[in-house]
Amino acid sequence: MSVNAPELELRGITKRFPGVLANDRIDLTVKTGAIHAIVGENGAGKTTLMSILYGLVQPDQGEIRVRGELVRFSSALDAIGAGLGMVHQAFKLFPTLTVAENVVYRNEPKKGWFIDRDAAEAGVRKLADSFGLGIDPKARVEDLPVGVLQRVEIVKALYRDARVLILDEPTAVLAPQERDGLFVIMRRLKAAGRTILFVTHKLNEVMAVSDRVTVLRSGRVMADLKTSETSPKAISKLMTGRDIEAVARPSLGNGGEHLLRVNDLGVVDDAGLVRLDRVSFEVQAGEILGIAAVAGNGQSELIDALTGLKPASSGSISLNGVDITQAEPAQRRLAGLAYVPEDRHRVGTAAGGEVWSNLLMGYQRTPKFRRGRWLRGTAVKEHARELIAQYDVRVGSENTLVGTLSGGNLQKLVVAREMTHPAELLIADQPTRGVDIGAIQFLHRRLLEYRDQGRGILLISAELSELLALSNRILVMYEGRIVAEFDAASTDEAELGIYMTGGHLAGAVHG
Amino acid sequence: MAETLRASTNRVLRNPVAFSIVLSLLIGAAIIAATGTNPLLAYSEMVRGALTGSGLRNTVSRMIPIVGMALAISIPFRAGVINLGGEGQMVIGGLAGTLAAIYLPLPPVLVIPLALVAGMVAGALWALLPAIGQTALKLPILISSLLLNYPARALTGYMVRFPFADPTVTSSSTVPVPESNRIPKLALFDGVSASLVLLILLLIGVALFNLRTVPGYETRMTGLNSRFSRYGGVAVDRQVVWVMLASGGIAGMIGTHLVVGETYRFLDGDLVVSGFAWSGLLVALLARHRPGPMLAAGAFFAALQIGGLAMQRNVNVPWQIAQVLQAVVIIMIAGRFVLKARRETAAVIEGETTVTGEV
Ligand SMILES: Nc1ncnc2c1ncn2[C@@H]1O[C@H](COP(=O)(O)OP(=O)(O)O)[C@@H](O)[C@H]1O
Ligand SMILES: [Mg+2]
Repeated sequence: MSVNAPELELRGITKRFPGVLANDRIDLTVKTGAIHAIVGENGAGKTTLMSILYGLVQPDQGEIRVRGELVRFSSALDAIGAGLGMVHQAFKLFPTLTVAENVVYRNEPKKGWFIDRDAAEAGVRKLADSFGLGIDPKARVEDLPVGVLQRVEIVKALYRDARVLILDEPTAVLAPQERDGLFVIMRRLKAAGRTILFVTHKLNEVMAVSDRVTVLRSGRVMADLKTSETSPKAISKLMTGRDIEAVARPSLGNGGEHLLRVNDLGVVDDAGLVRLDRVSFEVQAGEILGIAAVAGNGQSELIDALTGLKPASSGSISLNGVDITQAEPAQRRLAGLAYVPEDRHRVGTAAGGEVWSNLLMGYQRTPKFRRGRWLRGTAVKEHARELIAQYDVRVGSENTLVGTLSGGNLQKLVVAREMTHPAELLIADQPTRGVDIGAIQFLHRRLLEYRDQGRGILLISAELSELLALSNRILVMYEGRIVAEFDAASTDEAELGIYMTGGHLAGAVHG
Repeated sequence: MAETLRASTNRVLRNPVAFSIVLSLLIGAAIIAATGTNPLLAYSEMVRGALTGSGLRNTVSRMIPIVGMALAISIPFRAGVINLGGEGQMVIGGLAGTLAAIYLPLPPVLVIPLALVAGMVAGALWALLPAIGQTALKLPILISSLLLNYPARALTGYMVRFPFADPTVTSSSTVPVPESNRIPKLALFDGVSASLVLLILLLIGVALFNLRTVPGYETRMTGLNSRFSRYGGVAVDRQVVWVMLASGGIAGMIGTHLVVGETYRFLDGDLVVSGFAWSGLLVALLARHRPGPMLAAGAFFAALQIGGLAMQRNVNVPWQIAQVLQAVVIIMIAGRFVLKARRETAAVIEGETTVTGEV
């Protein structure tokens, strides 16, 4: 192993899947102690490349060197042995075990025949504290929010002495504050000499944290740049082959009649804690109402209460003049509610079902698709084909299993289904999370069209720029309350940020 | 020609079920050879015993309850609900159906269908208990349905020992079902029970339900992802109740058939020792809740069991060999599932997932 060899060196990596060349002769050199960003649209081949590097996928061609030494990984265990660690987008943790148990899994400190629990906890605590990760080794994983789970995954990799951390779209699941926290951690890891491969498709993140950036498009390396010598605009053009198109600012709502009226809505959780505290607002026809909040400030409870997945404890909800406070989800759909859920994997789709059966959900009892108890098979499939075409979902056919779709395509499928619903009100929870720039623009245009048809949208997003660009009004939630309301045209990220973090309570703003 | 033969052999061997059957036959042959009998002779006796003469009738008769119970279990299974209480539902339904067939003072054309209905209702009600336990009290059906097999056995045992005992016999059983009220035999397969027709109709009905109806679609989606179903407006709790009612109903009907169509007396423990509920569970698992394969797998197991008896009679190879064969087939197929599950668990742990094109 030579001293000056780069941490990682990939040469001519090629991987072909049936019908796609996912990686096409990729060269990549990563210096020790660098934060190296890998960017590209959905399907550009980022995850494939990272999986090859981590031994999960075998390349058809090409070679990998780690610190100058030629390696051949036949499984992730080999890659771990060579000092690599990967944090996947979907976390691989045992929900019922504690943080420490998850971290030491397969490397447990032993006392005789037993796991030395104290040593495990102490070891994990020390490691976590040394990088300021702020996690409690005794906490049970199922009780933790995603941002923390991600840090648990990082500790897990560090515990196995990972010199190189591969983070595959780590920010896709994070709120802005959590994301900043992650960046702090990444910089600390870098300062400690670790190397980080950071996969993303958000250009502001690339600019904020990386030293170098490699741009992938259609499985090819388009450029390898020093971050300080490039710009978001240049990277975007390399990623997409086109210039960024700014989303037009919305015209004002054209309806004015109240679609959704929420009155003093309250949610108390099983533990007796108030999660949502007397929230009242309206959504008008022809309006996009944005909700800005840091994760865990009552917005999920609000959505569950609106959609009927977990009913409210107090207050009332009326949709189109119909009281739906106690209605079941099916009745709410009939009353005119459509819903794009935040978690498209666990709530919004069934991976084991076909595209057509996923596109049918929620409509299966509408006259268009049934005759009595019988499904109208041809109508169902035809509908699926139409939506695939209209929303440009890239799939083989309506019979493809949804589990094989990439994140962006899956999101298009969910949005397609919900927007085609003959509903008056769409609740869109993080509609563009984890989706590439091209698809984001597409989805934004659809949302605006929807509004222009005189329908209403309640938009919840962690991307303040998205809220500001699309909404007519923005409500800010903090600790279960609505703490501020803004005209979207006359506020900005900084102002929203203050209210979202409770800064107004500290006297940072008056009033 | 040789090429296509090789290709089709390859295809068969790559099919997990076919592969397991071939391999288990080889293992069985080795065991039979070890007992000093020519395996080919033993197997030919087995095939002859299962498929010719009265053997064919016996095979088909045995297939009816196995496939029936498989069907009963598959309905909730497909919706993600594991009903292990088939046995209890069958026993309770069987007793109710038998009592109706014995005591209803009506003409046979009415009594027989009413007995089947009584069996269905009783089985369904027995299945309703765990369903309500889960939806109202959050007791998992997997456990409560299994546990309810014991009181079902005890309750029916008590009934045929005391209130409905036949005082003229020493065994604990009911009086026989009057001849006129028994389920008739068909002229088919040397006199197999008319329940076969009912079973075929049920299979077709369930296949149509699964593939063509709105609730069939909804139950499948719930089985795939119940949160998704709930989100899509499916009343999942109500669905749990319905699939359990259907499951218990079919089990109860099969129980009724076994007495009113086969043994004519409800004898304590009779329906339990036959193990139909468990053979049915295996068949349902193998066929992965599709009615067509369920019929095939049920017929195969029935033939193995009947053929095994013939093999014992004619060439003196113990019939347990047939059970060994059945066990090997199951282990092989289950092994494949376990391997797959282990691979998936390992994937969860080490991230050895296949890349699915996730963002
Ligand atoms: N296991 C697989 N089988 C078939 N095609 C795949 C598989 N994994 C990825 N692909 C395809 O390879 C391409 C690159 O995918 P991926 O590496 O996941 O892209 P990214 O992470 O940049 O979004 C996509 O077209 C995807 O559909
Ligand atoms: Mg990816």
